[in-house]
Amino acid sequence: MTDTQWKVFEVFHQQARGEPHVHVGSVHAPDAEMALLLAKEQYSRRQACVNLWVIPAEAILATAYENDDIFERGTDKSYRESWGYKTPKTISDETTKRRSDKG
Amino acid sequence: MADLAFQAIDALSGTVREAVINLLYRLADDELIIGHRNSEWTGHAPILEADIAFSSMAQDEMGHAQAYYSLLHQLGERDPDTLAFGRRPREFRCASLVCLPKGDWGFSILRQFLYDASETVRLTALSESSLVPLAQLAGKLRGEEKYHLMHGRSWVLRLGNATDDSHRKMQAALDFAYPHALGLFEPTEYDEPLAQAGISPREDELKRQWESAVAPVLADAGLTVPEGMPPIYGGRVGQHPDALKELLDGMQLVYNIDPTAKW
Repeated sequence: MTDTQWKVFEVFHQQARGEPHVHVGSVHAPDAEMALLLAKEQYSRRQACVNLWVIPAEAILATAYENDDIFERGTDKSYRESWGYKTPKTISDETTKRRSDKG
Repeated sequence: MADLAFQAIDALSGTVREAVINLLYRLADDELIIGHRNSEWTGHAPILEADIAFSSMAQDEMGHAQAYYSLLHQLGERDPDTLAFGRRPREFRCASLVCLPKGDWGFSILRQFLYDASETVRLTALSESSLVPLAQLAGKLRGEEKYHLMHGRSWVLRLGNATDDSHRKMQAALDFAYPHALGLFEPTEYDEPLAQAGISPREDELKRQWESAVAPVLADAGLTVPEGMPPIYGGRVGQHPDALKELLDGMQLVYNIDPTAKW
């Protein structure tokens, strides 16, 4: 199937400073600057946004689904399920909370 | 100069009040009509992403119009819906630039750039206005206008420099639009009272700022500003191209079937 002549850019959206950028979709655009401009109306008009990233889809190297058996666990690895550890997201949440408690 | 500021809209009286009413009609009608014109691209723009961005900006302009009409309502004019849908062409105070049919994509993009550059110049000045409610509103609208100008500028630069065909269309659009764009700064009898009260700069001052804002972008786009073409005036005193009547006939059609209907 032929796509438009414009390149595809993947769009990442940040709801608040310190939050992670989350992939929200893609836009077609002739270049990165236009991709940012078009992504702004496409992906920030219905939710809060402080920052957008666009990345050329062709710059992304992905695993092949036919190889998804590489993610399967041959033996019990439940010891790796480290949910008790803090993730960057929870650390940033707590930092924000500490700051606002001080303020 | 806080001691000279008009803190509330009802602090206005006499000539200054009359002048502010006229200014607000000019601001609001420009926004409503360009918003409607740009909304004509909804479903028709060259590519989905461009369609969504242009339609969204058209909504922004409608929102700005509603905000200005609300200030007018506070000054004793009719309610915003009646002002938008219940007036005849001669009662509108928009410039001819915003009335013109949407033309091709290049024309609409160029018009959006020329118009939003004027809007940015105006809102920057009005955010310092001695009329506090207007200054506050101008400050709130500036973010959206900043994006509109980035959008228009980016498109103009690309279409001006892309191909011989796109360049030729953009130059033709500029030759046609420029005298109408100068008409955005049609002087009125209210220039002097508005400037003296610190509410808005004179139109010729705003025009000077606008020209120095658009000239470098047009030059970078490889476009030549037409010289010696007289501005097209009349919009600020209710003299409009026929295109405005056609636009209003469509826009007001449903409202006029039953102006008292509740929605």
